[in-house]
Amino acid sequence: MTIRHVILGLLAQQPRHGYELHAAFQAISGGQESWDVKPAQIYTTLARLEEGGLVVQEGTGQDGGPEKYIYALTETGLVELRSWLLSSIPSDAQRDAFYVKLMICLALGEVNPRTIIQIQRSSRYQELHRITAQRQAADPHSELARILFLDKVVMHLEADLRWLDMIEARLDDVQQQPLPQPERRPRGRPPKQLLSN
Amino acid sequence: MNIAWKLAWQYLTGHKLRTFLTTLAIVLGVMIIFGLNAMIPALERVVARQMMAAVSEVELSVRSTSGNPFEDQTLEVVQAASGVGSATGILSQPLIIPDSLVRPAVADYQPVKSIVVVGVDPATVAQVRAFSIQAGRFLQSADGQAVLISESLAEKLDLRPDDVWTLPAATGTVDLTVVGVYAPAMPVIGSEEIYVPLEQAQQMFNLPGQINTIEAVLDANADNAAVSAAVQSRLGSTYSLIAPDGDSEFSSAVAVGQSAFLLFGILALAMGGFVIFNTFRTVVAERRRDIGLLRAVGASRRTIVLAILFETLLQGILGTILGLVAGYLFAVAMMAVVTPLAQEFLYMEMGAPIVTPENLAISLVLGVGVTVLAGLIPALSASKITPLEALRLETTQQAARKVRTRAIVGFVLIGLAVIALITGSFNLAALGAVLFLVGIILSAPVLVQPLAETFGRLLGIFFAREGQLAQRNLARQPERAAVTALAMLIGLAIVVALAGVLSSTFGGFLGYLKRSLGADYLVMPTSLVLGGGNMGAAPDLARKLAEVEGVAGVTTLRLGSGQVDGTAMQMIGIDPLVYPEIAGLEFSRGDEAAAYTALNQERAIIVNGIFAATSGADVGDMLTIITPTGEKQYRIVGVGLDYLNAKLTTGYISQANLEQDFNITMDVLIMANAVTGVDKSAVANRLSGLLVDFPSFTLLEAETFYQAQVNIFQAALGMMYVMMAAMALPALIAMMNTLAINVIERTREIGVLRAVGSTRKQIRRMILAESLLLALFGTGLGILAGVWLSYVLVGALNVSGFVLPYNFPWGGVLSGLAVGLIFGVLAATLPARQAARLDIIRALRFE
Amino acid sequence: MSLIETQQLTKIYGQGEVEVTALDHVNLQIETGEFVAVMGPSGCGKSTLLHLLGGLDRPTEGVVVLNGQNLSALDDLHLTAVRRQQIGFIFQFFNLIPVLTAQENVSLPLVLDGEKSGPASRKAGEWLTRLGLAEHMHRRPDQLSGGQQQRVAIARALISEPALILADEPTGNLDSRSGDEVAGLLRRVVDEWGRSILMVTHDPRIAAYADRIIFLKDGRVVDETRLNLADSGEADRVKEKVEAL
Repeated sequence: MTIRHVILGLLAQQPRHGYELHAAFQAISGGQESWDVKPAQIYTTLARLEEGGLVVQEGTGQDGGPEKYIYALTETGLVELRSWLLSSIPSDAQRDAFYVKLMICLALGEVNPRTIIQIQRSSRYQELHRITAQRQAADPHSELARILFLDKVVMHLEADLRWLDMIEARLDDVQQQPLPQPERRPRGRPPKQLLSN
Repeated sequence: MNIAWKLAWQYLTGHKLRTFLTTLAIVLGVMIIFGLNAMIPALERVVARQMMAAVSEVELSVRSTSGNPFEDQTLEVVQAASGVGSATGILSQPLIIPDSLVRPAVADYQPVKSIVVVGVDPATVAQVRAFSIQAGRFLQSADGQAVLISESLAEKLDLRPDDVWTLPAATGTVDLTVVGVYAPAMPVIGSEEIYVPLEQAQQMFNLPGQINTIEAVLDANADNAAVSAAVQSRLGSTYSLIAPDGDSEFSSAVAVGQSAFLLFGILALAMGGFVIFNTFRTVVAERRRDIGLLRAVGASRRTIVLAILFETLLQGILGTILGLVAGYLFAVAMMAVVTPLAQEFLYMEMGAPIVTPENLAISLVLGVGVTVLAGLIPALSASKITPLEALRLETTQQAARKVRTRAIVGFVLIGLAVIALITGSFNLAALGAVLFLVGIILSAPVLVQPLAETFGRLLGIFFAREGQLAQRNLARQPERAAVTALAMLIGLAIVVALAGVLSSTFGGFLGYLKRSLGADYLVMPTSLVLGGGNMGAAPDLARKLAEVEGVAGVTTLRLGSGQVDGTAMQMIGIDPLVYPEIAGLEFSRGDEAAAYTALNQERAIIVNGIFAATSGADVGDMLTIITPTGEKQYRIVGVGLDYLNAKLTTGYISQANLEQDFNITMDVLIMANAVTGVDKSAVANRLSGLLVDFPSFTLLEAETFYQAQVNIFQAALGMMYVMMAAMALPALIAMMNTLAINVIERTREIGVLRAVGSTRKQIRRMILAESLLLALFGTGLGILAGVWLSYVLVGALNVSGFVLPYNFPWGGVLSGLAVGLIFGVLAATLPARQAARLDIIRALRFE
Repeated sequence: MSLIETQQLTKIYGQGEVEVTALDHVNLQIETGEFVAVMGPSGCGKSTLLHLLGGLDRPTEGVVVLNGQNLSALDDLHLTAVRRQQIGFIFQFFNLIPVLTAQENVSLPLVLDGEKSGPASRKAGEWLTRLGLAEHMHRRPDQLSGGQQQRVAIARALISEPALILADEPTGNLDSRSGDEVAGLLRRVVDEWGRSILMVTHDPRIAAYADRIIFLKDGRVVDETRLNLADSGEADRVKEKVEAL
């Protein structure tokens, strides 16, 4: 979702060529290491935006693909951009792959859950090490925004590590409790009160 | 090495107030020991001055062994000895000029109140002594009432040849005409010499035909040793060819003073050392982390020890130097106070304090030595700190065990001490006092907790909230509290003990006073020290006084000196029949009535306590006394004391014996009783009328005299208290140090208290409560120890011959209590202010 | 040969009922030019490990071998010399002597070793300049911020050019910005000047500056993680672990 809004924003700044948009996207989103976006994604999104009337092609360079066209924001696009700017971004902390892995591990009993935690921890540390090195290399006089972004990454990694410590400490208690199972659905017509998702 | 110096220096300059306070303790100690001892040589020199051989020409000098004058026929014996060239006889006596005869002095000079009269034979003395005449001429054989004075006397008193100078004499007064002025060969210390014809001197002092020195020069090629031996054998043992002890009365008083001063000095210095020890123990505790860090970073144990020792050394040197300066000023001040008193009562001219190289060296060594020694133990314990211990924040448990064993030993000692006291034996009680002190010192840390609680409850009355905190804080560091309280303890014990001794002495002496000078009227010589320059009176005066209407009876004292077993003994002549009726001696041994009877009938003697104690003699023993007329045997019939002669080796014999064996007939003190019911003041007037012609005597009614003595004692007591205060001061410093350190260590805690809502005032009160607690702790024990010590000291005096009743030193105890409380408050002021001023945030961050 | 290694290193405190095993037969090695962090919950023995490695304390069992030398066999005098010449120390607080200036503090190890104060001060000045503290050379610790104090401590740890530096929670007392500065400086010490650092810390962010993290729990090593790897290595290690099961 966010990709289209970033493109809208970039075009609000100034009309751009198609190929420019990819580079601009990478620059402003914190670099390739942070958010790897393929050029193809950009062009697909551009096409959809054009279909929706949010952007419009302005003149052509030469003949060729979308990369060679200059795109600009429409009035509708501007409205859309503004409403995105003014709405909050939902957090994505609920969906955790590691948590699910740990549950599976507990259910199966094949691998020691502590080992899994250790592996995850190691990997987080390695990542922390990497991010820290990047942060050290950045120039605080011209890349402060990026540094602050890296700080955010660090904080999330720290939070992950803290949680790993926490669950490791309570692992014995967790193992004693029953694993989450799905509810048994009775056969037959569902009662009228139920709402389907 | 360098780093140790640098650390020492930096720590010293980093905590200037702490350094100042610690150094002050040393300054005080050195000041007392050096200052007091600078006064001694000045006093000694005054004495020696009387003894100095006049000029270098004199090769032979003869005096009587007993120091008394002798017949001038002895001169012929010396003259006849082969190898003797010329000999001359001299009568030299110190003379005190009573106020009524004192000539006003010129400009800034002090009036001259005492001189030495030297009677010389104008015909022969010039062959033996050289005189440098500056004005007028020397004495001549034809001169009668003539005098040769020194240059400075001429200047001070504005006397020139042909002027007349009136001086006291046995006949009342004598008018001497100045014939010349001489310049002394050596600088004069003490009284100046004036020269009169020998006969004139003999008249003045009522010693007809007597001299007390023979000076001679030898033939050109004579052997000094051989001739001296020959002369000595001709003269016999009643004569000495060396200067006799002479004025030993004063010498022995000076010697006593010297030991007393030394004791004071050592005590003061010990206090200083104690403060250093206390301070550096706490300093080491404070610096545990720094020391640990240094060790972690690679400092060797040696470096740590040296750094601390250097710090103490620097303080020791600084403190000692300042102490020497302060000591000299102290001596000057003391002499300035004492000199007019000495002039007034003793007729001694005192000079400035004298700095001898020995005194300087000893004070230097003691000052620096004590400081470094005191710092040694803390330094060694500092080196034992492992790097790890200092980085951890907890304290180790090992110290606790050591404290317990020491405390047990301490309690045992205290128990023994109490038992010793109960036995009643004096020697055991003395031992007990020492055991008590040591026992308290050892067991103090353990006593802190229970005593703190007891006193804490007392304190709680005034310090409702802060009292408990103060008590807990102290109990947390019992060692530190104990060491600090000990400083107070020792300081106060000294104060109370001395007060006890002084008050007992005071009481004792005044007791004698009432007894021995209990007459209604006293005709007193100008100086209270009998002899030593007092011009006495011929027996005529006493007779005239006895005839005055309203006088019931008159008795007199006469003075001579003899030698017993090589020591000089003052001989006092009394009338055994009349003296007991008007005055009396305080007998400690022997039957009073029998003793006086014996004195009248035979060669009997009553000795005083000092002599009995030092010589071990007792009633019934025979004494061999060397007199001017030869060796005589006297039987001891009693041991007794009178007020004026309690301090010196004295013997009382009959005036008849004094005249027969010692050739003394001059009265130096006259006592008279009035008839009962008569108008005392009328009698007094009549007596005074008679005394107009005898300016060296003053008439005193007993009451007036008694009051005067009390005043003198109180003045002396006052001076003593000042000195004791100086010694107690280090205790105050020790307390301040401890409290300051407590505050620093509890910075964080104080921050928490303030953050939680304690006001500045409450913090101040907490520190004050702690200080008072410490003070009470030290004061209570100190007073206890002090009273015990005073009991022991008075007992010691009793044993050595002064019979003194023990007076419980109420004054001392009360002032000790007051001092303790005042110190408690004073010591807290600075630290309390510091604690209250702490910035809360900074304090909370402090780890 | 490792720079420093421990064999069966054990430390037990107290006696009888109150006996505490702070370290339990720990074996580890640290190579030259390595930056190692030691982490673990409170009471896991990490500070004890550091104290034993630095010769500040003696083990109950086992040995510490530094540069081939058995530290446990040395007497106090020689151990002190080792601390002066071969090891640098950085603590969480009380790192500096309050009455000495920054320069004097930094020159301590050299001066204690007998070097003359002139050359020692000069070297101290050089290190302080390298660490950006030139203008604070003559200030006392109470005139410096926490971060500056730690940097002075680092300069002191470096001055005798020891192969090993032991740091005990060096950033524990600092705010996050100063902490990052100090940690970055430590990184530089390893990368630029080739020393080894063993750092005890509880802060993951600071630990991440290291090359390797050792995890201690209840006096034992429970895990070890290499930090500076290319991602491609992970797949191989997973394969190894799967095969091990």
